[in-house]
Amino acid sequence: MAMLEVEHLRKSFGGLTATNDVSFRVNEGEIVSIIGPNGAGKSTIFNLVTGVYRPDGGDVRFQGASIVGKSTNQIVGLGIARTFQNLRLFTQMTVLENVLVGQHHQLRSTWLSSVLRTPGYRRQERAMREAATEKLAFFGPRLQSFRLNQPVYVLSYANRRRTEMARAMATGAKLLLLDEPSAGMNPKETAEITQIIRRMRDEGGYTILLVEHKMNLVGEISDRVIVLDYGQKIAEGSYHDVVHDPLVIEAYLGKKATVDRAEDGEVDGASDPADGGIARPTVGEGVGDA
Amino acid sequence: MARVATPTAFDAIDPARRLRNLALTLAAIGVGVLVLWGLESVGSAKLTQALALFAVWGVATVSLNLINGTLGILSLGHHGFMLIGGYTTGLLILDEAARQRILTSARSTMTEQTLGISVANLLQSVGLDGLTTPETLWARYLIAIFLGGLLAAVAGLVVGIPSLRLRGDYLAIVTFGFGEIIRLTASTRLFSAYTNGALGFPGVTSEFGKSVWWTFGVLAFTVFVISKLKYSSYGRAMQAIREDEIAAQAMGVNVAYHKVLGFVISAFFAGVAGGLWVSWLGGVRLDFFLFQLTFFFLVAISAGGTGSITGVLLGTALVVFVRQYGDPLEESYAIRTWLYLAAGVLALAAAGAFAFRSLRRLRPRLHWGTLVLAGTAALAALVAAIDPAFLEGSFRGFGMRAIFLSVLLIVIMVFRPEGMIGRAEFSWAALLREQRTGPTDEERAQDAWLSNPKLNAGGAGPRDDAGPPDDAGPARDEGGR
Repeated sequence: MAMLEVEHLRKSFGGLTATNDVSFRVNEGEIVSIIGPNGAGKSTIFNLVTGVYRPDGGDVRFQGASIVGKSTNQIVGLGIARTFQNLRLFTQMTVLENVLVGQHHQLRSTWLSSVLRTPGYRRQERAMREAATEKLAFFGPRLQSFRLNQPVYVLSYANRRRTEMARAMATGAKLLLLDEPSAGMNPKETAEITQIIRRMRDEGGYTILLVEHKMNLVGEISDRVIVLDYGQKIAEGSYHDVVHDPLVIEAYLGKKATVDRAEDGEVDGASDPADGGIARPTVGEGVGDA
Repeated sequence: MARVATPTAFDAIDPARRLRNLALTLAAIGVGVLVLWGLESVGSAKLTQALALFAVWGVATVSLNLINGTLGILSLGHHGFMLIGGYTTGLLILDEAARQRILTSARSTMTEQTLGISVANLLQSVGLDGLTTPETLWARYLIAIFLGGLLAAVAGLVVGIPSLRLRGDYLAIVTFGFGEIIRLTASTRLFSAYTNGALGFPGVTSEFGKSVWWTFGVLAFTVFVISKLKYSSYGRAMQAIREDEIAAQAMGVNVAYHKVLGFVISAFFAGVAGGLWVSWLGGVRLDFFLFQLTFFFLVAISAGGTGSITGVLLGTALVVFVRQYGDPLEESYAIRTWLYLAAGVLALAAAGAFAFRSLRRLRPRLHWGTLVLAGTAALAALVAAIDPAFLEGSFRGFGMRAIFLSVLLIVIMVFRPEGMIGRAEFSWAALLREQRTGPTDEERAQDAWLSNPKLNAGGAGPRDDAGPPDDAGPARDEGGR
């Protein structure tokens, strides 16, 4: 069953078309990666799905219902949470508090019963704390114990990434959008986060859509890879198929220029090998005419 | 890692510790009551007044801090909310003799009808005659400040709504404008039947505003509500908005609701503070609610520590102390005394700077500020040499208290921008040094091991941060990893 369906999504900022007719779906229990060169529109897709931007056209459906026009916090309530490429943690707050904020929208007490600490509120608060430590336990012992009460600003970059992922998990979302989860991590930490993302799917039951630049991570865990370039989807499929796709190679490495020599003749059919590879159609035509 | 068995996360709700903290709090309140009682019975009337003022302004600063510190919005309209609460309470609680005086006064713009608005009449109309006797004035006062708070909360709702669209300086300007609009509207003909225009009205009982029991009681209630709110899930959501609004929204926090909620609760307590303020002053007048009031609160908040209730109360104590006991600053002194004073301050500052620099092992340096001060002193000496009569005069420093506070604020902002105690908050756990602030050596060692790529580097590739062009090429075989 498709958890997220994106159909003919369009968004432009002034003259720049950031997302142009992009369609894809994410099935329940899948790990899907979005890759593409810088400026390809990966983060725009995230912002469109989470309601930060309103699409100019197209539809986003979550579990069958359209979520276009809903506010970001409503979308979180429905079950989509995200992390940010440039980390947006609540830096003055502790690790535990950060994760607890993710659960605030599930609180069923009014502010007044929170102030009065009614038994119902206490019960929920305790449950929230238990859930928060449980989510943080996904990342091993490094975010436990004394770390729980440490303010985020003392954490290492990698630990901040982990805290942000735990915060997104704590929202109770079923679909997690991870924006470059391994950015700024060393190889060992990257390998570890790869395993954690897999465990998030296998043990946590999350469906995961991620944007990532580290291809070894993408190749290792993705069920499917979607490639974007200039706001358009240029390829979709398994990692192996996608990285061998000529269009993808072109997007990343560029097209071979037409000045290339004869051995590339089949690519640039118009150029005349006799003319040093320089495309000058008039010569060929002239010969033909004569 | 045996310590993990008792996770620190649950300390806050550990039943035994909570009971102990509650006992300690009750004991502290008991001691506080005794101290207050002692001060009230032994101390002068001036001291009682200062204590009461501290509590009244404390209610205002603690509530303003909910917006400025917890929600992270700079609000400059607190005096407007206080005015609404103050005028409402003043009118509702005015005694009969004062009402008659206003009615017969030629300059009064209040009518018989508006002067008939009082809690007593209100209670009489619903048949609660028992609460209209002089002995039950306290009940009527409670009702009055509650209603004043409610009206201010409605105004808070109105100011809270623009806060959804604006942020930062722009919002600060709007709140400032709103505070002024409230004050100026109160003096217009539209409302002068209720407010008596710019004149206001005297005759509000001082029985409550100058009683340490009443004011400290309301302050305790305010601190209770605001601190419980701050440490609830709602408070965490508000702090999250302060830290990063976009992230808060992306984590499901309804930013609009929480901002308006913060404004409404803050305005309610500002209204209550206004009700105490008019009682402390013994009357209602437009110039009791100038922007200056909000300025004092901001100084208290910034000096004490933005966001910290403990810090804000410390800052309030400082501001109230300067206001109530700063009279020597504004008395008339001979020019000679002023010059000696200036020379003394100059010498002290130079000595302090020298000590500071040698303590930090910095090269001694002549600051331009020192030169300016020395130049001014030299100029004064020159003037005195030319015209000895200059030294015979005297000078009175009107407004020196405000200048003193401003200079104090500058000094605090330069040397300790986070305020006296920063964001720290009083807690028994912190006081008894129960809080773990750092890792044990064992944990530190484990942490280093966990994040060292050279150790236990199983499964990781040798490359770090490989960019996509390097990786996406067809030449790289997938099985190569």
